[in-house]
Amino acid sequence: MLLQGLTAVVTGCNRGIGKAILTAMASEGASVFAIVRKEDPSFTEHCASLAEAHGVEIPIVYADFEQEDEVKAAAKQILQSKKGVDILVNNIGVAQPPRMLAMTNMETIRNVFQVNLFSGILFTQLITKAMMRRKRGSVIFLSSSAAFDGGANIEYSASKAAVIGAVKRLAIELGQFGVRVNAVAPGLTDTDMGNMTPQEDMQVAVSRNVMKRLGKPEEVADAVVFLASELSRFITGQVLRVDGGLL
Amino acid sequence: MTNAEKYNQAFCEALEIAEDQLEGLEYQGIEQWDSVGHMGLIAALEDAFDIMMDTDDIIDLSSYEKGKEILAGNYEIAF
Repeated sequence: MLLQGLTAVVTGCNRGIGKAILTAMASEGASVFAIVRKEDPSFTEHCASLAEAHGVEIPIVYADFEQEDEVKAAAKQILQSKKGVDILVNNIGVAQPPRMLAMTNMETIRNVFQVNLFSGILFTQLITKAMMRRKRGSVIFLSSSAAFDGGANIEYSASKAAVIGAVKRLAIELGQFGVRVNAVAPGLTDTDMGNMTPQEDMQVAVSRNVMKRLGKPEEVADAVVFLASELSRFITGQVLRVDGGLL
Repeated sequence: MTNAEKYNQAFCEALEIAEDQLEGLEYQGIEQWDSVGHMGLIAALEDAFDIMMDTDDIIDLSSYEKGKEILAGNYEIAF
């Protein structure tokens, strides 16, 4: 198993890509702090059965990443558990149905940046203090193919592009502490968020990738597991695109 | 060990200096207390006192004396 005995933190993991990451990490032997916004009995049950099946622990931490005080409280709860975090996956993100900038107010843009960028940076600042102390760790941010091609609303495309800048800088700062920082940039993926894309836009997107299909959440999760594992021990500051070949 | 002794030990071990160098010591006043050394010092203080320092306090901790003031004022650590 690639992550045997390690402890991970995954934000926004109650559905879609986040849930696939949680599942993949647990099946590779990692205990996972699962961060979600609100209680959901079916998710709680999913975590319990996953934990039992793989002999790991999956504590659930509730936090709304639009609220900085909740981000801080979540980090505090995790750090005070003294588990020693090895892997942080900043997966949480929000997107909205397509529209033009002319139809977008600044509050919407700020809210999306808050969740997709600022909260992830704040959370990383807090969690990586412990990684720096232990001189090891892997941080993975979820970016998007929209960061490269502008294939989503301005706030989503821009915030996911900013994530890449943050990854580059953090890799420089944290490398000396043995902490690696990378990003995974999925293309259009078969999730609730991906399915917000209008059908005709989706067909265009699929026709643009060389594999001619949507990605699966599990395929993105496999890339995250790779970057979390020792298989990628000399890789940092990189963006791994999981988009079926948008060439 | 008293809190003052714990505080001094955290500084000495994190920055690899002797106790007689502590008085008047300031951030970037010696080679070891650069930004990297600062994070090591914060880790040592957090471990020594079992606290989680706020980012504003980490930024404000600019000297040996200021650190005591912050710990006493914001984390109820008596010296």
